[in-house]
Amino acid sequence: MVLAAIILLSLVFPGIIVKVKSKTSGRKGPSVWQPVYDLVKLFRKEAVYSKTTSWIFAWAPVMYFASVIMAALMLPLGKHGAVISFQGDFIFFIYLLGLGKFFMIVAALDTGSAFEGMGASREALYSMLVEPAFFILLASLALLSGTTSFETFFHSLTFNSSIAIFIGVLATYLIFHVALLENSRMPYDDPKTHLELTMIHEVMVLDYCGFDLALIQWAGHLKFVLYSLLVTNLFIAPSFPTWLTLLVFVTITLLFAVAVGFVESFRARHKLRNNNKAIVILIPIAILIFFGSMLIMNKLF
Amino acid sequence: MGMLFILLFFVSLFYIAISGRLFTVLNLLILQGLLLFGVAIIELNEINIVNLLIVLLETLIFKAWFMPNYLKKVVNRNNIKRQVNPYISGFNSLIIISVIIIGNLIFAYYIQNTFLKPAYIAAAFSGILTGLFLIISRKEILMHLVGYVVLENGIVLLSFSVGKEMPFAVNAGILLDILISVLIFGLFINKIGKMFEDMDITKLTSLSD
Repeated sequence: MVLAAIILLSLVFPGIIVKVKSKTSGRKGPSVWQPVYDLVKLFRKEAVYSKTTSWIFAWAPVMYFASVIMAALMLPLGKHGAVISFQGDFIFFIYLLGLGKFFMIVAALDTGSAFEGMGASREALYSMLVEPAFFILLASLALLSGTTSFETFFHSLTFNSSIAIFIGVLATYLIFHVALLENSRMPYDDPKTHLELTMIHEVMVLDYCGFDLALIQWAGHLKFVLYSLLVTNLFIAPSFPTWLTLLVFVTITLLFAVAVGFVESFRARHKLRNNNKAIVILIPIAILIFFGSMLIMNKLF
Repeated sequence: MGMLFILLFFVSLFYIAISGRLFTVLNLLILQGLLLFGVAIIELNEINIVNLLIVLLETLIFKAWFMPNYLKKVVNRNNIKRQVNPYISGFNSLIIISVIIIGNLIFAYYIQNTFLKPAYIAAAFSGILTGLFLIISRKEILMHLVGYVVLENGIVLLSFSVGKEMPFAVNAGILLDILISVLIFGLFINKIGKMFEDMDITKLTSLSD
């Protein structure tokens, strides 16, 4: 059921971003369902492969999509446990996403195009830079809950102290930025421009078309919803009834999409040179979260 | 609640490190003054009422109102350039301050003293070292003053961390020191501003009479 919600929301998500961007710039904008039509159109088309590519190129989109779906299976939602769950699964979660990204990078290199190689190197660099922040965040959740599984991570973070609220706000901010970065959204990269010199994620998929491109795009939308599911888990308790849990999830995801739309409308893209600095700045935020959870655990007294 | 204020104090230290505008930094000083006021209300309920009142007045009126606003007035009156001009870039300052804070957290974790609260110790030493770092890494003379004030905020936090044994005289002495220095700097800048448009210390070396 959680997976169904994720998939449904992932179909609406990009549409809402585009709609918000259009509204804020005074245009009417395409229908919210337009990305779905695009996906359907792409799914009907067949893929064309360049002669220089090998089997990796054909396999990578499937691997990417599968890794994201697998990652989605590992996240709980309130009292609904994750489908796959074991001790230490948060590390597995991160590296599943990493695996998908690795295949995309390898496939981009496989095409032999100089542009795609450039995009691949940037993607690798930025994922590497953001990883410490994300790990510290999840490690502080592990510290709070005393376990290393997503199932129990969020149960112990109840908002009965001011520090917990502080941690919640910071974690939301952090996850929001990680999501923007993973999807190469506005402050880090501009998905609108097809200017090769500034592109990160888009440039890696230039050689894909048809079915494969649809898989890649859908996986990107799914990733957004995964991160919003993480945020949702920060704010719901396992005692919530099912309808309330789902309501909070849908609301937060829609708010997330609107927030992305607003950020894209009103913020300029970072200079590419300054991107890595902007990413490393996320690490102090993660350190504050870690410190806050140490305070909650009374480790500092 | 007190711990939340300490966390916000850390946030303000990080922000001072990367902010490129003088007025943001001065607003952060106001925030730090308010945070100290909050910490004082929460922590110092055991000292006698006169001391408590003086501490509260000091943090609220002097730190959160008078000093930042006086500095703002100085900036406005003298057309001082409103960008912070560092020797060490904001990003590198952020890394250095992160290292300072982490180091102090580890340090505070190992001091298991019943009289001192580790979180306060960490925040206090971070404040002191950040203040010193701001003094050596910024070119404006006003930022040197800001570094001085941040350092003093750290010292005040240190005195809060010992709770009711707070040596009141020490605090008052430091306060007087800072007050005089702010006033003297203000006068100095007001006077010298007529001659030099810039308060960049690299250019002040060519002063002559």
